Amino acid sequence: MSFQGLPWLPLRNDEPDSLCNNIGKGMRKIVVCIKPVPDPTHWGRMKMDEGSGTLKREGIPIIMNPLDKHAIEASLVLREERGGEIVLISMAPSSAVSILREGLAMGADRAVLLADPLFAGSDTLATARVLAAGCRFIQDVDLIFVGNQSIDSATGQICSQLGELLGLPSVMHVIGLESENKGGMIVTQKIEGGYARLRAGIPIVLALRREVNKPRHIPFSGILASERKEIRVLSSTDLDMAPGLVGLEGSPTKMAGVETRRLERPCERVKGSAREIAEIITARIHEYGII
Amino acid sequence: MSKNLYNGIWVFAEQRNGLLHEVGFELLGKARSLADQSDWPVTGVLIGSDVAPLAQTLINRGADSVLIAEDPLLSPYRLLPYTSVWEQLIEEYNPQAVLIGATSMGCEIAPRVAARIGTGLSSHCVDLQFNSEGHLLQIVPGWGAGAFVSIVCPDHRPQMATVRPGAMKASKETPKSGEIRKAAVQLAGNSIGPEILEIVKEPLEAKTLRKSEVVVAGGWGIGSLKDWGLIEDLAHVLGGAVGATRPAVDEGWAQEWQMIGQSGETVRPNLYIGVGISGVMHHVAGMEQSGHIIAINKDPDADIFNVADLVVVGDFKEIVPLLIEEIRSRKEQW
Amino acid sequence: MDFLFTEREEMLRNAVRDFAESEIPQKMADMEKTGDFPIELLKPMAEVGITGIITPPEYGGVGLNYVARSIVLEELGRICGAVPMALEVHHMACAAINDFGSDGQKKQYLPLLSGGETMGCFAVTEPTGGSDLIGTKTTAQLKGDKYILNGRKCFITNSHTSDFWVVIARTGDGPKGLSAFIVPKDSPGAKAGHKEDKIGLRGANTGELVFNDCEVPMANLLGKEGSGLTIALKTISETGRTGMAATALGILTAVYEEVGKYASERELYGKPISSLQAIQFCMAEIFTQLEICRLLCYKANWLKDQNMRCDNETAMAKYYTCEAATNAAKKAIEIHGAYGILKEYTVQRLLRDAMVTIPAGGTAEVARVVLSRAALAPFKK
Repeated sequence: MSFQGLPWLPLRNDEPDSLCNNIGKGMRKIVVCIKPVPDPTHWGRMKMDEGSGTLKREGIPIIMNPLDKHAIEASLVLREERGGEIVLISMAPSSAVSILREGLAMGADRAVLLADPLFAGSDTLATARVLAAGCRFIQDVDLIFVGNQSIDSATGQICSQLGELLGLPSVMHVIGLESENKGGMIVTQKIEGGYARLRAGIPIVLALRREVNKPRHIPFSGILASERKEIRVLSSTDLDMAPGLVGLEGSPTKMAGVETRRLERPCERVKGSAREIAEIITARIHEYGII
Repeated sequence: MSKNLYNGIWVFAEQRNGLLHEVGFELLGKARSLADQSDWPVTGVLIGSDVAPLAQTLINRGADSVLIAEDPLLSPYRLLPYTSVWEQLIEEYNPQAVLIGATSMGCEIAPRVAARIGTGLSSHCVDLQFNSEGHLLQIVPGWGAGAFVSIVCPDHRPQMATVRPGAMKASKETPKSGEIRKAAVQLAGNSIGPEILEIVKEPLEAKTLRKSEVVVAGGWGIGSLKDWGLIEDLAHVLGGAVGATRPAVDEGWAQEWQMIGQSGETVRPNLYIGVGISGVMHHVAGMEQSGHIIAINKDPDADIFNVADLVVVGDFKEIVPLLIEEIRSRKEQW
Repeated sequence: MDFLFTEREEMLRNAVRDFAESEIPQKMADMEKTGDFPIELLKPMAEVGITGIITPPEYGGVGLNYVARSIVLEELGRICGAVPMALEVHHMACAAINDFGSDGQKKQYLPLLSGGETMGCFAVTEPTGGSDLIGTKTTAQLKGDKYILNGRKCFITNSHTSDFWVVIARTGDGPKGLSAFIVPKDSPGAKAGHKEDKIGLRGANTGELVFNDCEVPMANLLGKEGSGLTIALKTISETGRTGMAATALGILTAVYEEVGKYASERELYGKPISSLQAIQFCMAEIFTQLEICRLLCYKANWLKDQNMRCDNETAMAKYYTCEAATNAAKKAIEIHGAYGILKEYTVQRLLRDAMVTIPAGGTAEVARVVLSRAALAPFKK
């Protein structure tokens, strides 16, 4: 089972350009997906539950995933150029309201929190299904921005999966973004040893790296304005999601176990001639997977 | 499921401009050892246009067979046509497992394919094993010191995993024979996604300390700007960044931003090599969480040795040039 | 009774912390070297709303209260005390003009201050001392439609970074003979004189203002002739002392964090020194001082926000916090051992900065004199 039966827009078109179904009309809605992550300052205190393999997050403050700020910044710049409404979306427990409020203070227009106990334990595919349902709920979305990856799990799967589930093209590793007159976007994608420049139509899903911009600081006036902005909470019922597609049950990947591999540093002494030492070190560097 | 030549472990042999990415050989190395435990055959998957000449290399590197999907639309790489190819190949041959390198391309394709098929995907595995039930254990780093998590995908096939380049040992090339099959793929009428305007090559960017997988740091013991060059050469040959202690920065051998320690940067590379560094607490605090630590110092009681995996007592002026030479020649061999 | 910050205040703290941590550290080496305020930070600070935080929105500000301002100054001070030092004086100019200025003056000057076009400056102190307001010697004589100023102001924060200064000068005799003026820096006969080379808060520019038959239009009189003392006292007490207290509170927070981090990382005899009771007691003391200072500072600001009398409370908060920060910084250097005296370690700067907060805006002795009057008042026979 998957969401392929419900493409938001047909994937199969005769012409790639027909994806630009909104040329010259300005932006309708820009969705920015944001994720609460444990504050890296406290990572030293984070442990895994040996039984379930889940992270023990109690008492660890959350922050907005750093790359998501770049995604919000990109949406703000685009709104200045082309108008439209910026809607933040997050699949998270209700404690994530603070993160959404922060995004609203940066300047987003409103936020949608996808919160439901049924969503707990979702892997990336199940999460992408919930976010895709959220995007469909919002409607008239021309652009979806996500951070290229989160700092906590770093799987970097949401962009492609969201694109797939919504039947939209997607581009990851975006380090440059320009708006084109005729409605599309010029996207610079980082690849090994260089970059690719792409002309993309909308709607599209883009995953941004930190090089793409410098996020603005939250203005105090934005904090005041955020108090009047809407944060709507949606459950699986609101999204009309079947329980079997989300949460632990709907996640194709499962946690099988946790093991601890690290030992105290061995402080192993290397002996021999300079040549022999060089050979031993090289062999070890190879074992470490560096060369 | 009955086994045939094409429904075992698949390895994506990523190529751009007819050049195979090294990570494909690394995945073949791992797939080969998995195959030897499980009897599942190994298939290399080549996607592009005019890529057939690369197939024999994959056989020689350990694939039992190679599946080739060729179409002019598949060169240069485009996400949507590639996804479509994967969908068609998987539906036709039902592989058990699909291994993809976590390159810019692989990171983009793997999740899209997994979502289209509706199967599970684990990212950035450091190891892969089969468990007693024959499921692929996908091992990824967890939280806390040295914790690793294994992930399985019990109810869906294929089991998909991405692996970072360099995380696994590449297989060696040994001439042998194997079946090479061109798969029929149908791309006409599908969206190809964004238009590619240009692909630009850039010289290797200077790596910042914090993002580098390898950091080679030098301290007071280096003694002169001339010998500091050895630190830079060693970092260069390992594709890493150069770090320094406070005294080395003060001597002008390195810049302020290169300083590692309490009042400088905290680094956590996969490999840290400290040369001529005594290991005062304020430097150690900035590097002790590195994956692997090698320390070279002529003082047998240097503090840095207490936090090192590998302790080398000796003169760096003798050892480092030989080490550079050794790494260079081994890199060509492997 | 309620001792908790609101959600808005918590967001404000996070926002300004993020700003301070990302924008200020790279400026500090230059501040230490040159003693100049990083003027290029002014615009970014205006964009965030730091410069105009207490100024009403109709004059380009954010219109937040003093508790909010204290949060902002404290967070800036946690990274670098010189920045809130300069800003709190900037806010004194904002407050004086907003509280006593005509509508025209507010429209003319406040947007420039909110928008970060220039820094604000509030000049009271003279070579004879700052606390003796009645002894002000700078004169302003009305001649035709102009005031002619003569005299010298010293220890003036933002002296060289402001385009106009709020200056207290004598227009007559006695306490009622003081008046306040807005003096553009390019007025004939006005100049910023000597720049001071301070041991701490080096990034806050301090210097002299010199008036030599300086001509100021009549329209630049702030408030009425003779209201100078009120303007000076109210601004110094409510905006100045709360500002210095918040600056010192930020420094004290930094001391607490530096010591905590060092004590947990630094090992002696195989254990972090934080396992030694002597160090633990120090930490407990600094921790407690920090809480005392927070309570004093925020209560003073809260009273101000309720439009209640707060002169005693601002004096207490100012003198106590500045002393507490200095004492804690000194202890921090001792805990750091030999590292404490190295310039690359932060604690030595924290001590220098904390010491400079003590005389700024009135010494602890003057505060005690003032407070003793209030303390003894109920027993007066």
